[in-house]
Amino acid sequence: MVANNATPLALLVALLAGCGGFPPPNDRLAATVAAARSARELGAPNSPQAALHLKLADEELASAKGLMTDGKNERASYVLLRAKADAELALALAKQNSAKAETQQVQEQIKTLQGGNP
Amino acid sequence: MRAPARSPLSVTALLAGALAACSAAIPPAELVQARATYQRVSQGPAAQLKPDEVHEAKEALDGAEALFTKKGDTPDVKDTAYAAGLKAEQAEADAATVVALKEKEDAQKMAQTQTLSTMRSAQRELLHTKQELASERLKREEAERKAAQAMADLQRIAAVKQESRGMVITLSGAVLFPSGEAGLLPGAMVKLNEVADALTKSNPESRIVVEGHTDSQGKIDFNQDLSNRRAQAVRDYLVSRGMAADRITSQGLGSLRPIAPNNNAEGRANNRRVEIIVQPAGAP
Repeated sequence: MVANNATPLALLVALLAGCGGFPPPNDRLAATVAAARSARELGAPNSPQAALHLKLADEELASAKGLMTDGKNERASYVLLRAKADAELALALAKQNSAKAETQQVQEQIKTLQGGNP
Repeated sequence: MRAPARSPLSVTALLAGALAACSAAIPPAELVQARATYQRVSQGPAAQLKPDEVHEAKEALDGAEALFTKKGDTPDVKDTAYAAGLKAEQAEADAATVVALKEKEDAQKMAQTQTLSTMRSAQRELLHTKQELASERLKREEAERKAAQAMADLQRIAAVKQESRGMVITLSGAVLFPSGEAGLLPGAMVKLNEVADALTKSNPESRIVVEGHTDSQGKIDFNQDLSNRRAQAVRDYLVSRGMAADRITSQGLGSLRPIAPNNNAEGRANNRRVEIIVQPAGAP
């Protein structure tokens, strides 16, 4: 059952767990931190939806760090899964927000042009 | 006989199985939400615009389902399901970004077209204005040239002076009329034709006064009347040559304004005259 369905990573995790400890989910932590930083730089705090997910990501990140400090690496890896998804969604929403704002800007420019030369 | 006996058994087994499945299969809210989100997103524009992300969301959801089957309702399953639902939302947001960027591109093209057409119409207007100005200038130059020519022509046939009352064209009475009469001589008409021509070309807007003058010989009343009729005759002739009747008037002044002594023949000949006064343009 495990051999059939599990990804190599899960296998590795299982092997490592067998060896006596779940490894700290450092890669996932780094990816989450990076996504949250990008979201912030792209203006996530300016869009309510993006800001909400960024805030959740920050909270979950802190929670995961606490778990890792306590040696609960496996649990931390799941919390980070959540944090990473929140951070990446915040980033996507921020991008969407700025794309829409740019579009609106150009459309207003056209209105001005048309207004100037009816 | 054997079939009815087996029936209650299988029903019990089914019931037991269903109960077992039921107790294990109450999915957490996160999983229910993730399924619904994926359902919505996979039927939206993201399916076309971001198929790879939708596929990733599907894999994440499948992973959450598998973990749920294995572990049941645990925090790990909730986190995994939550993350799967957000992956679907991310695909949706990225698709919306693609749509917005496409709209932006379209708008930019439109703005470009708009700017170009604005520029072109401005250029057309500018060209039109330039052409109008050039044509105006040509017309003005032509008019000035004609006026100068007309003045030159006029100066060959009559005495022309600039005075404060305007340009004064003086024609000798002897050239225009038989002695003591107010009917124009044939030679007078030739001269007056040229005068009318020159005035029409050079001063088409000016007001014109035709004055008749005599010498001091003879009765005052006669001279007054003669100068009146002579001025009138010249005025009528000029009007007949196409000059506007409403801007040309006549008056006789008899011998009131001599320009030379009346005690010799030459002086008297100079005094017998018709003056055509062209008032400066714009004068009342």
